[in-house]
Amino acid sequence: MTLEASAITVRFGGIRAVEDVSLRLHQGEIVGLIGPNGAGKTTLVNVLSGFQRPRAGRIALNGEDATRWPAHRFARNGVVRTFQAVRLYPGMTVAENVETALVGTGLGRAAARGQALEILNYLGLTGRAALPAKALSYGDERRVGIARALAMEPRFLLLDEPAAGLNIGEAEELDRTIARIRDDFSCGILVIEHNMALVMNLCERLHVLATGRTLAEGTPAEVMANPAFKDAYLGADA
Amino acid sequence: MIDRASPFAKNPKGFVHSLPSRAGLERLLPLLILVVIVAAIMLLAGQLGIVQQRRITLGFISMISVVGLYVFMGNSGVLNFSSVAFMAIGAYVSALLTMRPQVKATFLRDLPDWLASAQFDPWIGILAGGLVAALVALIVGLPLMRLSGIGAGIATLSLLIICYIVLGNWTGVTGGQRSLMGLPTYVTVWNAGLAAIGAIILAFIYQESRSCLALRASREDEVAARAAGVRVVRERLTAFVLGAFICGIAGVFYGHFLGTLRVENFYLDPTFLYITMLVVGGMRSLTGAVSGVIVISALAEILRLLEVGLRLPGLDAAIRAPAGLGDVVLAALMLGIILFRPQGITGGREITLRGLRD
Repeated sequence: MTLEASAITVRFGGIRAVEDVSLRLHQGEIVGLIGPNGAGKTTLVNVLSGFQRPRAGRIALNGEDATRWPAHRFARNGVVRTFQAVRLYPGMTVAENVETALVGTGLGRAAARGQALEILNYLGLTGRAALPAKALSYGDERRVGIARALAMEPRFLLLDEPAAGLNIGEAEELDRTIARIRDDFSCGILVIEHNMALVMNLCERLHVLATGRTLAEGTPAEVMANPAFKDAYLGADA
Repeated sequence: MIDRASPFAKNPKGFVHSLPSRAGLERLLPLLILVVIVAAIMLLAGQLGIVQQRRITLGFISMISVVGLYVFMGNSGVLNFSSVAFMAIGAYVSALLTMRPQVKATFLRDLPDWLASAQFDPWIGILAGGLVAALVALIVGLPLMRLSGIGAGIATLSLLIICYIVLGNWTGVTGGQRSLMGLPTYVTVWNAGLAAIGAIILAFIYQESRSCLALRASREDEVAARAAGVRVVRERLTAFVLGAFICGIAGVFYGHFLGTLRVENFYLDPTFLYITMLVVGGMRSLTGAVSGVIVISALAEILRLLEVGLRLPGLDAAIRAPAGLGDVVLAALMLGIILFRPQGITGGREITLRGLRD
């Protein structure tokens, strides 16, 4: 199974946010999407999840054209994303945040109530179930965001800077969680991340964007050896 | 949906069985408490005089309408000024179906023959009033439900104005600016109270549904809800149609309570009264909707008595408040709630035996 973006272009007014970018995500692999601020990473994730219609190019899910799908249709077909700002439902409890996603997959409310607890348990959030989402710490908030995404039974999981704002220890733990999710759910994961050390460790492939264009792609070792990447991303003297 | 591997075994039945029945009962508790409160008010009203009974009947009709308003506005978080328009539709539909043919012949010259010569059972009027209101909501809701915030407020206000103007000028069918007289006045404190209980039960069943959970998610964060597969327009439309159905029935009761329909009865005054009730009670919970009606109705009644002049036992002079005090106090209360307790007196929570809880 594959989620595939071909020759995607997105413009905001005169600005080229994404220009002719192609990216392929297979089930069971973890791909890192990296690049400096303003490179178009989040815009590309928006395109891949139906939140942004591309000016040109095509999105395909298992060969089926999904370019004009609305966001909820991507989610219902297993292409699930998280947000850089997490965007929990603040007035609802942690459990309800997850239940909402579960009923979206067709579960009844009673069944969703039970399964939400299992998912929270899977992410070590059992003790938080009854808290209102707005009462969570930053790290817990991010994990609930992932719990909510897992409740959608993702085949493809798009994580927009899941480690933003976490300390090193938390970020490393998050990395282990992401790897575990890939193994347990056998889904394909696209992760936007700034921390190069984490990305090297976690991802099988990297896709580097700069000013909306693909700068480099390949295994972490290949990308690191790429002179264009060294130049643009790490700085000429790196 | 395609079969997918999941580490979580899907076994809905297992959960239903393992769910302790106490938890199930606890979920029903807010409904039971609200029904008991309404029933208690009905019984109390039975002991009072005819004037007070009519006041309480009017309170029950407000309760039906505010519950209808809550179903959409409370759960979706989208501003809605159109609930009274659906009351008007329900009231006029039921009036046309249940009035005596002789009366219709006097006032309404443009009715189709089948309608002009027929007189239906009150039940038909109630159902038809609700259903026609729901149907209109379905049609206008399709484009409207894409809006939220100020856009939704303006659009639903426009809907109210359109409804007011059409009803006020369609003289051959609605009587226009003249009053439409001769509606059978079958509404009592008993059947209005039962209808209020029915509306509460309907709203509660909806609120426990998957559709409503999805709608509440979109209220909290529309973008995140879409990412979780919520079809926002569709869930809003469901609530809008159900809310219009309940408001339509409230309108039927209002019409047959008054016996005379005037379009002014379905315009800005009740619109703002019902919104005040919902906001003061707390628009995010059914308990809030119901308690807002009770608090505001009771307060309005006390203020009205003060304006008329209240004679306390043992006191020679009557206490008399200046005219217009009622409206001022209600407006000030609304302002105070918005400033100091924006979730309303219930804080947007449902009532339970242990107090107000989420």
